[in-house]
Amino acid sequence: MKDKIKLFLDTDLLEKYLLGTTDVLESNQVERYIAMYPEVRKVYEELQENLERYAKLHAINAPQGLKEKILFQIKQENKNRGRFFKYAIAASIAACIFLSSTYFFYNQNKNLQEENTLVTNKIKDLEMDMKVQLEDIRNQYIVLNNPNTRRFPVVGNKKAKELKAVAYINPVKKLSYINVSNLPQLPENKCFQMWAEVNGEMVNLGVIKDIGDKQKLFALPYAEDAISYITIEPKGGNHTPTVQNIVANIKY
Amino acid sequence: MDVQRCCSEDYTMSTLLEKHIVELLKERDEKAISLLYDNYANTLYGVALKVVKNEDLAQDVVQESLVKIWKKSDSYDPAKAKLFTWLFRITRNTAIDKLRSASNKSDKEIQIDVSDVFNLGVESTKPELLDMRENLEKIEPKYKIVLDALFFEGMTQQEASEELDIPLGTIKSRLKIGLRELRKIYGADLGLVLMAIGSMMA
Repeated sequence: MKDKIKLFLDTDLLEKYLLGTTDVLESNQVERYIAMYPEVRKVYEELQENLERYAKLHAINAPQGLKEKILFQIKQENKNRGRFFKYAIAASIAACIFLSSTYFFYNQNKNLQEENTLVTNKIKDLEMDMKVQLEDIRNQYIVLNNPNTRRFPVVGNKKAKELKAVAYINPVKKLSYINVSNLPQLPENKCFQMWAEVNGEMVNLGVIKDIGDKQKLFALPYAEDAISYITIEPKGGNHTPTVQNIVANIKY
Repeated sequence: MDVQRCCSEDYTMSTLLEKHIVELLKERDEKAISLLYDNYANTLYGVALKVVKNEDLAQDVVQESLVKIWKKSDSYDPAKAKLFTWLFRITRNTAIDKLRSASNKSDKEIQIDVSDVFNLGVESTKPELLDMRENLEKIEPKYKIVLDALFFEGMTQQEASEELDIPLGTIKSRLKIGLRELRKIYGADLGLVLMAIGSMMA
């Protein structure tokens, strides 16, 4: 142990530490030795006392006015520090306001953009709807007014005696429509569905809603010698027509 | 006798004063710097002058050091070093930095003032400082060289041995004697003060 301490003292690390020229690792080592070994601590304390004594022997009157200069600079330093903190606080508040308002506007902008997209889509949908409806109404007008249009009254078979409809077929314009004016009552779980046989395939034309559809003309796909059917299907419609439930057919 | 009492009182009172200054520093009270200046500026100026060997530079060093001490007062740990050790470290390092940057700027500028350094007029020195100087003269140059190497140049004994071309053993023994001389100077003061106090009590 004694050797260890002697070895340490011989390294001059303590002297270097005294003047603050040791690096972090060395400082840690020295501080450990000072804490652990009273002998080292004693040497360190003596070194400090000797340093102070020896340095004091070199004291020389500092120039006049130096004290005032230093105290003035320290006052400035403190003022600057205070000012710095004031500015820092002001800057932080400004940053907070800026951030929150940015966030607010960003959110508002996002909401507006979403609303804008929604409105644009709605307008597009409406335009499409309008176009389709306009086209439909134009065609209906053509069909109803054209002298070449032939009119076929349609009645239901015994399964739906009350069914009354009129089909309008125009072979020149190749347009065909049907107007269902009366439908018999069906149980709640059933509905009427329209079909057309085009080129040997059954095409679903949709479910006929009993109320509100009386004035409506259903567009039928046009084909030479085509046949349209009305069937009774489970509520909501079916993928393929139930042949035994055909209640009316329209040949045109 | 008066002079001796003053110096030794300084020495015995120093721990109380140190504590007071450290407390003021912790409280960020500017009085700390005022007290530091009154009690240490002359010594620190002497230390700075010893390193930079130029009065203007030394003055700048003391100013910068005290401002640094004020700014870094949080970093002072009384458990690790005496107040003076801390002050000395900062002043010495500032002086070395100053010397480096000054010599980088222009070597000539510094040379002009070097001759003035030890040309201090007696009238500009306080009596107690004069006493200190006299005490310094009491130490033989061959011991002073070794003490300077250790305390001001920051040399290890090995480095001092190489630099001064003196065997390591001689360095060690000269250091020992030098430190003993140093203690003798203060010891004599202390002894005289104790005698003075004793005679006052009687």
